[in-house]
Amino acid sequence: MTILNEEDIAFAGEYVLGLLDSADEAVALARLATNAEFAAEVEAWRLRLQPMVEGKDESPSPALWDAIANNIPKATGQDVETHSLRIWQVIAGFSTSAAAILAVMLLQQPTPAIQPPPAAPLIAALGSENGQASLTARYDSSSGMMLLTPVSLKTGKLYPELWVVPADGKARSLGIIRADGPSEIAISPLMRDFVGEGATLAITPEPEGGAPGGKATGPIIASGKITIV
Amino acid sequence: MASKNNSIDFELEKRARLADALVRTGKGDRSAFETVYRATSAKLFGVCLRIFSDRAEAEEALQEAYITIWNKAASFEAGRASPISWLVAVTRNRAIDRLRSKGKAGFASLDEASEVADPAPLAEAQMLSTSEGLTLNGCINGLNQRDAHFIRSAFIGGATYADLAEREGEPLGTIKSRIRRALLKLRSCMEGQS
Repeated sequence: MTILNEEDIAFAGEYVLGLLDSADEAVALARLATNAEFAAEVEAWRLRLQPMVEGKDESPSPALWDAIANNIPKATGQDVETHSLRIWQVIAGFSTSAAAILAVMLLQQPTPAIQPPPAAPLIAALGSENGQASLTARYDSSSGMMLLTPVSLKTGKLYPELWVVPADGKARSLGIIRADGPSEIAISPLMRDFVGEGATLAITPEPEGGAPGGKATGPIIASGKITIV
Repeated sequence: MASKNNSIDFELEKRARLADALVRTGKGDRSAFETVYRATSAKLFGVCLRIFSDRAEAEEALQEAYITIWNKAASFEAGRASPISWLVAVTRNRAIDRLRSKGKAGFASLDEASEVADPAPLAEAQMLSTSEGLTLNGCINGLNQRDAHFIRSAFIGGATYADLAEREGEPLGTIKSRIRRALLKLRSCMEGQS
């Protein structure tokens, strides 16, 4: 539980108004994903400002629904299939939209270089709202191997460090990953209990060799929840 | 009294149904998505028409907004946000993206925002038709006119800090601290009235 100060409150308002540049927006998104009080203030600002963009209710042309329905994947009998179709839709959506809204993106990229683990029951999609950083994680709990595939990940002179944040809210380092291609990392037996459904994976930029003393020093540039597929 | 309670119950029920349809949309349920569309398209078209005065542009923006809603519904968290505020935010942001990609951000609305100097500033009938709109309108009118103008230019016109600083020919830091102060003032005015 944190108490927001005036600066945080104004920051939430600036974010909702869309005033921020992309670096500050990424910071706001990371806080939105990780801080419930900040998220509540963002929601409060949305509710406060919403009347400004509410026009008169007016029905769009009847043909519009068909145009929308034709642009989303057809229903299939299998959830998994629908799921992967939707993942591609998200990629398509983001490639045209520089600043989109909610934090978690679902992305899946085929990786010719490294074969994904044969059975990968856990997957996490790590993203930022503006699509600046995104990657996927696939985890095979039987072998303890995690495959991370960046779609876009820029940390400048720093290195992307991967963290797992389980229900207790404490971030634990899983090591440095590559920014420019897929990484396959072995999750140490001590950490395996923390890598499960509902835990969050997050990336922060850190100095060479990783965050000193196991404490993140950089902002969260991408995060996402682990889910079972 | 009884009728007032009934109408509150009705609103809550409508909201719960919409939240449920949105959650199901996030799981890939097309019929739930159609339910969301039928329940909200008139309202969200109103949002697009606030941002684009041109009807055809507004419809294009609305179509993009619903495709974004379909793609992102899985990230809607019913416990954290009201479905309508989430949908309006997605729609507003998508429409502003479109405005920015056409290089129109901040400009049309700045002209429109000069209405702030009028005797009845921001007197859009719609905004004044709800208690939330009346509160916001009253509190915005209590701000310095330039600050009110900046806030509208950002939210309706898509102007960023950098756009405002360039247009006003003032340092970024000056614009930022002005707006931050205005936001805190706006919030405390609105909290005082709710």
